This record gives sequence, C-alpha cells and structure tokens, in this order.
Amino acid sequence: MKAAALEFRGSTSTPRTGVNRGVSILDFVLRLVGIIATLASAITMGTTNETLPFATRFIRFRAEYDDLPSLTFFVAANSVVCGYLFLSLALSILHIVRSAARRSRIILVLFDTVMLGLLTAGASAAAAIVYLAHKGNSRANWIAICRQYNSFCERISGSLIGSFVGIPVFVLLIILSAVALSRRGSHK
Amino acid sequence: MDSSQKSGEMAININETKSAEIKPTKTKSGKGKSDLGPPIIVATTKAARDPKGGWKRGVGIFDFILRIAAIGAALAATATMGTTDQTLPFFTQFLQFQASYDDLPAFTYFVIANGIASAYLVLSLPFSIVCIVRPHVVGARLLLLILDTVMVALTTSGAAAAASIVYLAHNGNPNTNWNAICQQFNDFCQRVSGAVVASFITALIFMFLVVLSAVALRRN
Repeated sequence: MKAAALEFRGSTSTPRTGVNRGVSILDFVLRLVGIIATLASAITMGTTNETLPFATRFIRFRAEYDDLPSLTFFVAANSVVCGYLFLSLALSILHIVRSAARRSRIILVLFDTVMLGLLTAGASAAAAIVYLAHKGNSRANWIAICRQYNSFCERISGSLIGSFVGIPVFVLLIILSAVALSRRGSHK
Repeated sequence: MDSSQKSGEMAININETKSAEIKPTKTKSGKGKSDLGPPIIVATTKAARDPKGGWKRGVGIFDFILRIAAIGAALAATATMGTTDQTLPFFTQFLQFQASYDDLPAFTYFVIANGIASAYLVLSLPFSIVCIVRPHVVGARLLLLILDTVMVALTTSGAAAAASIVYLAHNGNPNTNWNAICQQFNDFCQRVSGAVVASFITALIFMFLVVLSAVALRRN
C-alpha cells in the first residue's frame, strides 16, 4: 500500500501540474496581448488632435479627446488596465513557476474581474459617443460631428478596436484561472 | 469500505491525490491514524471533507441569494428603461416633443442587454440550487462562472453606454454643440438615470458572483 501510495504521488505531480503549467503560460501570453491592445488604444485615443483649417461661428474648429468626457474616461480606463496587466505579469510568472499557488490565483481572479468591468465600461461609453459622433441623433438635435472632423473620427473609431480586443482577453484570463483552480493538481 | 461506497466520487479522489501527502503537512484532518491501511485513509479524508462541504454549501446559499437580488435589479433596470415614454405638452420649433428609449440606440442596447441578463439569471437558478445541494460538483460551478463572466461584460457595457448618453443628456457638450435635453424632458431623464443605476448594481452583483464561484471552486 505504501508503494502504491508513493506511486500515486509520483503520478499526480507530472501530468496535472503539467497542464496547470500550460494554463499558466497561456495566461501569461494573454496578459501580454492585453497589454499591447490596451496600450495601443490609450495612445491612439490620447494623441487625437485635429484642427480644421477654417473657422465657423458656432462650432469649434479643434477637436481633442478631452473635449468629450467619455473619451477622457476611455483613455484613463485603458491606461489603468494596461498598468494593472503589467503589474500582474509578476503574479503570472509566479503561477508558471509554482503552479499550485491557490490564494494568489483567487486574488488575481478578483482583480481581473474588477478590471474587466472597468475596461468594458470605458470601451462602451466611448463606443456610444463614437456612434453618436458618426450618426448624430435627430430627436435630441445632436449633429454628427464626423462630417467636419474626419481624421479625428477615424482615430477615435480605430482606437476602440484595441479595447474591444482586450475584453475577451480578460474573460479568457478569468476562465483560465478558474479552470486552474478547479483542477485536482492544484494544492497549496 | 462502507464510507467509500456511500460517496463514490470522494473515494476516487482519495486514491490518487493527497492522502499520502496530507498526513505529514496538513494538521487540519488531525488524525493520528496514518500508519493504518486504506480504510482509515478513506475515513479521515471523508471526515475532513465534510466541514469543507458545509462551507461550500454556505457559499452556494449566498450565491443563490445574490442571484435573486440580481434578478430584481436587472428586471427593474429593464422595465424602467423600457417603459419610458414622455410627451411634452407643448410644441417647440426645433426639438421633438416626445422621448422614448428607442430614440437613442444606446438605450435600446441597454434594454436588450439587461433583458438578456435577467433571462440568464432566471435560467441559472437551477444550477445554483444544484451547487447548494451537491457542494463538491465542479462542472456546474465552472459553467456558472464562465457565463457570469460573460454577463459581467454584457451588463457593464450596456450600463456604461447608457450612462455616457445620460451624462450627455444632463450636461450637454459645448464643444460639439450638443444640448442638454434633460432640461426639457425631466421625467424621462430621471427614469433613465434610475435605470442606469440599477444596471450598475446588477453588474456589481455579477462581479461578486464570479469571485464567489472562483473561491468555491478551490479543490482542497
């Protein structure tokens, strides 16, 4: 029985923690992808600055991201998420090295969920404003500003892409952590 | 080996995992009978797992209660936004005198997203009950966690899109020449703002549910 117990101990460590290690490596790679996506979004939106060559009486002839509070929130949210992902790379490397760490994975799930909410909120708020800028709204008498500010509109539309790539990255990160937590090889 | 036949899945776990490792490191099971054969191993691990089953059951009950609260919040958000319809008694030259939720696409998306969230919550109640009745089941909890994560994203996106439009309706934007319509449509604005608040509460409850499921998924 003791030999059988020892044999079981030997067989539990390699395949189970091997899969956990693969999950942790995938987690690390996904975090890198998220860093690139959110950083690109923040930079693209943050460097918007278009000045029209002519001046009209009622409409400003300059458009920046901080003219619209939702876009400011978008830049702030993406920056915070990018910084968090960068800091959480350390915990992710720890999980690759020590696949059995449990409490740190739960902390990571907690913060990933909060950051998912923040990122989704920023991306959706900016998307609503970008849609309004493209189409306008006849009921509320809001005109579509994209007709004047073409390049500004293109930049703010393009910067949404990186953020909307980051959202499924975070969903996958949470699911991966949950799968790693629920596997039998995960012990303290 | 009656104890191992009463709960088959626990017997399988005992055979391959940490029954050999628990004894020197963990004192939680606290049994000094490590030098006897497998029947005692089965008994110690099962007895050590029962209080853990009770703890997971408590988490499951809390999860169920939170789901009921989230159903209330999501239904309130959907109903409040979906029944907005304000007609002003006077007629102005430039502004339309009627406002309802489908005039703004962000609000339409809000109603759809919160409707989906409410329907999902009602359908997930049986899975939550399964997690209470059988605390050690992994598949149902993992499924609930995956779907809850997707619902966090959906609900938050609907709430944030509507919130940015509501902010614009309250404050306007002088740079883009967008006027604040709340000054005319008071009742509409109040209802819409209340619906956005309810939706954010739903999103917070979903986040809490995700973390709860993750904590309960731990394998001891």
